[in-house]
Amino acid sequence: MTRPALALCALCLLAACDGPLSTLQPSGPIATEIAWLWWAMLAGAALITVFVLGLLAMGFGAPRKTQARVWTHGLGLWFSMAILGSVLGAGLWVGERILPRDDGAVTVQAHAFQWGWEFTHEDANGAAMRSTDLLHIPAGQPVDVLITSEDVIHSFWVPQLAGKMDAIPGRTNRARLKADTPGIYDGICAEFCGVGHAHMRFTVQAHADWPPDLSDEGTEQQEGAP
Amino acid sequence: MRWLALLISGPMLWAFLFSLIYALHGWACAGGSGPEGLDGGARMLLIGVWVLGLIAFIPLLRLAPSGQERHQRLPRMAVWIGLAATIVTLFPVTVITSC
Amino acid sequence: MTDIPTPAAASARADSVHVAPAPAQRALALHRDLTRVWRNDRGLWGQITAVNHTTLGLRFMGTALVFFAIGGILSMLIRAQLATHQGAFLDTALYNQIFTMHGSIMMFLFAIPMLEGLGIWLLPKLLGTRDMAFPRLTALGYWCYLFGGLIMLTALLFGVAPHDGWFMYTPLSDATHSPGINADVWLLGVTFVEISAVAAAVEITVTILRQRAPGMKLTEMPLFAWYMLGTSAMMLVGFPPLIAGSVLLELERAFGWPFFDPTRGGDPLLWQHLFWLFGHPEVYIIFLPAAGVMSMIIPVMCRTTILGYGAIVAAILALVFLSFGLWVHHMFTVGIPHMALAFFSAASVLVAVPTAVQVFAWIGTMWKGHPQLHLPMYHICGFFLTFVMGGLTGVMLAIVPFNWQAHDTAFVTAHLHYVLIGGFVFPMMAAATYWLPLITGKARIRGVGEAAFWVILLGFHGTFFIMHLTGLMGMPRRIDVYPDNPEWVWLNLTSSIFSFVLTIGFAMFVLDLILQATLGQRTRRDPWDAPTLDWAMPVPSPSYNFASLPISRHLGQSARDAVLSLARGEGALAGAARGRRELLVTSVGVARPHHVAILPGNTALPLYLSASIGVFVLMMLAGQYRLAALALVPVGALIWVWARGMAPAGDLRAVEVAPNLNLPVHHCAQHSLARTGLAAVLVADGTLFVSLLFGVAFLSVVTPATPPPAAGADTVTSLVGLGVIGIALVLAALVGRLNTRSAAALGLGANLLALAALLWLAFSQMDDPTAHARDALRAAVAGYVGLHMLVAAAMAAFVLDQFRRGEITPQTQGALGAWQMWQHFTTAVALLAALVLIAQVGVS
Repeated sequence: MTRPALALCALCLLAACDGPLSTLQPSGPIATEIAWLWWAMLAGAALITVFVLGLLAMGFGAPRKTQARVWTHGLGLWFSMAILGSVLGAGLWVGERILPRDDGAVTVQAHAFQWGWEFTHEDANGAAMRSTDLLHIPAGQPVDVLITSEDVIHSFWVPQLAGKMDAIPGRTNRARLKADTPGIYDGICAEFCGVGHAHMRFTVQAHADWPPDLSDEGTEQQEGAP
Repeated sequence: MRWLALLISGPMLWAFLFSLIYALHGWACAGGSGPEGLDGGARMLLIGVWVLGLIAFIPLLRLAPSGQERHQRLPRMAVWIGLAATIVTLFPVTVITSC
Repeated sequence: MTDIPTPAAASARADSVHVAPAPAQRALALHRDLTRVWRNDRGLWGQITAVNHTTLGLRFMGTALVFFAIGGILSMLIRAQLATHQGAFLDTALYNQIFTMHGSIMMFLFAIPMLEGLGIWLLPKLLGTRDMAFPRLTALGYWCYLFGGLIMLTALLFGVAPHDGWFMYTPLSDATHSPGINADVWLLGVTFVEISAVAAAVEITVTILRQRAPGMKLTEMPLFAWYMLGTSAMMLVGFPPLIAGSVLLELERAFGWPFFDPTRGGDPLLWQHLFWLFGHPEVYIIFLPAAGVMSMIIPVMCRTTILGYGAIVAAILALVFLSFGLWVHHMFTVGIPHMALAFFSAASVLVAVPTAVQVFAWIGTMWKGHPQLHLPMYHICGFFLTFVMGGLTGVMLAIVPFNWQAHDTAFVTAHLHYVLIGGFVFPMMAAATYWLPLITGKARIRGVGEAAFWVILLGFHGTFFIMHLTGLMGMPRRIDVYPDNPEWVWLNLTSSIFSFVLTIGFAMFVLDLILQATLGQRTRRDPWDAPTLDWAMPVPSPSYNFASLPISRHLGQSARDAVLSLARGEGALAGAARGRRELLVTSVGVARPHHVAILPGNTALPLYLSASIGVFVLMMLAGQYRLAALALVPVGALIWVWARGMAPAGDLRAVEVAPNLNLPVHHCAQHSLARTGLAAVLVADGTLFVSLLFGVAFLSVVTPATPPPAAGADTVTSLVGLGVIGIALVLAALVGRLNTRSAAALGLGANLLALAALLWLAFSQMDDPTAHARDALRAAVAGYVGLHMLVAAAMAAFVLDQFRRGEITPQTQGALGAWQMWQHFTTAVALLAALVLIAQVGVS
């Protein structure tokens, strides 16, 4: 195959991974770090699979002199420990980098119910702005979402921006998002929550200016208390 | 039976330490620390328990039989399993954000 | 068990295990005698009264296969629904029932019973004995499994099946959000089925520890026995948290005790902890027996011995323990601090090490030997291909940040099917094709099995490989339509098409089994030329397994060399001269002959007992709680009858096991199988108690505080009540040692006094358990302790009755030892519960 053809194939493959809920099309640094973690682990896993299946295939044949310790200790213990140790280290390191911290990030609220989301952010005057199934966040800076639930357990997930975080009645959970650029991102409830589960979707709108001016955005917004 | 008890002593010690440190961590974080984590004292407590736990493996290693027969090697391997598990699963007390 | 030598002494004393061979007899005469004693009764009634491990093991596996087919059909419905993005095949409510039942059936009604059945069927053959330790318990377990499964299936037929997911998360599964009996069907049905899991775990443990052929040391027994020992130990500790959680959730649903309700001091996360404390070990409970099968079959297929026996045993030990330190990786997204996540992430990663040790030991075995591509080997290769990938995606999911993205998506669905079908179904298919000649006595018909394998392999990977990508592209689990995501359609359609290929493959596999059983040619004994005792018997295996039990000289031989010698009665305990079912009980470590156990014969009692438990379950389901309480009376009465069957009776003289070796029968022996069994039960029971205490601690420390209403208890009165209970129970524990009739009467009185004091405390001092989770848990702990006092009182009464009948003599102990053990346990948990209560009051 020629090089352009290869490049085309790779492009097709990558395009196949695209979609509004795809973790493989990240749109912020948090989701990007996790996506890199995935690609690295995928490459490693593919190599290991080929290696192990190669050993298996070579096993079919005449008996060979072989030392038990090479298999149980060399491969079983040390080889696997080395790989697993580096994967664990990478995972914890990325985890530490993307945790929510006390750094004055903008905070918004997400309240889940059967079956929908009520989001709240503060406008320029500090008044609470509520919206249903549409979350406003600033672009280009970290945002902490405080997640609560009205009834059963739900899960807040915007795959292009970050991993998911459950909404659990009686608790407040904190998830950190960051969108690189202004735009619209899809979100979905990831924890099974009853017959409306499949339809419990929402949209995240990342704004260049913050707090956003929503005066001309239709009737969905309500100011202050409902 | 004594042999079986010896066999599971190392992993049992790991299970005990794992539960204890997980419980202590839960208790310390429930005490109202911010998202940045425990104050130095609580983290030192966790590290202290971990180190004491690691030290507790020394007598177990001494108790384990020597020799190369299978029934002698197995209890020895079991203590090492417990020790390795204690090191690997609980090292996060030293570096990871706590609460 | 006191005679277990220290490791150093083991080799020195090993010679004393030597059992002299008996003179040869006529094999046919032995066969006739033994068959008369060990066979099932004739006809349908004979199936009902059967307690034989071969019959019941096969029946467990056959029933599990039927449930596998039902679960498979449900998965077809799921795939049909998901094939397009606007699937209108099922409505959402029904779809929710179907995926809930698919998961629940495959876990609780297929995988677990299948491995129990394999263990029950195979272990006695492999270890050189004639049956499991407690044949009636085997039968009881089967009936409980069948009835529990039928309750769940009936609910599915009537459209009231559970619909909250196989994990039953609260508050979705509580009475507010799931009114109706759907959730109760799950909680009661699964708990009913779990009786069989605990029963199987107890007797598998006892059988492996106490019934190995004389001279078969623990460190030299076939690896499958090590795997099953690990599995059964895990079941003893793994199932109680689920049982505790289910009972608490059912109490919440039925009586409003708010263990998991955050508005009244409960916590939905407590359910998740209890569920996954069971749920993750469960995965390894399923994997270990399958890995045991691999360790048995690979060396035979490769004409060699297993490589790294010691390393594999160490790996089993590591898996048994580490798998209890992973449960939180199902809860990485519930908001637990990163440090705690790191503990569980590290443990989840570490558990891959012992798995890798085994995988490489198996491949090394293939290098060492000369693999022959018989049908079982195909499935073993299917295992490697599938399980290695499933293990690697498992490591990925153990990594916290990646888990935050992949959790609850189709990626996890793909991963778990790679692990469960790769790590369990492929090895089980290898096992079926390997052991079928021993079951049917027939050789297989060439061609169908190989074709089935290729279709299954293609169908499986076609269905699930691409599902990883579906998940990464954002498709959550448990949704029925995805109108806004056309990019998922081709992925799902591909999975759906291949899933039907997979189903065809499984159908071909079953067809192969049926063809072999019906049309196959008779096979010779030991068709694989195996080294293990399971093949040292005629095919199909006789009801008694061995005409004489294998002794040291048979253990070093191949099955082919041992089989005739055993059939001629040259081993121990040849024939059935005394006309009763006898087997040899040995010591734990080096398998020194200890005594002769006399097993019960065919009986319908297990059916009656499980049916009466079934009545209780149905009354609970119907919400008839008074009638349910009443239904416990026949349960208690039948347990009494059951225990009466264990009383010393008949010929109690010592038995000549081999030349110059006379051993007592178990009624006259110190450490009977029942005693080891009770110890195993108490391990499970103690774990149940610890699960409740975990609940107390979790709600007191971790749960965000919802202040409880002011306590109504009077401190002094309560302390007096607790004091009375404590003194009475300590007295009961002390008098048990006295071994006299009046001591038993005193023990009965003390237990009744403690029970009365507890009831009085409960009704006069305890706060309303529906008001706050703290009080609900106190009531639950009090109920647990009270139930144990009631059983202790009943056991003391039973012992008193045995004194009256003259069954307790200097030679025979009767139920005295069992009562003492139970009494000590009861006293200990009661005192511990009181301490925890006092500490909890003191802190608040």
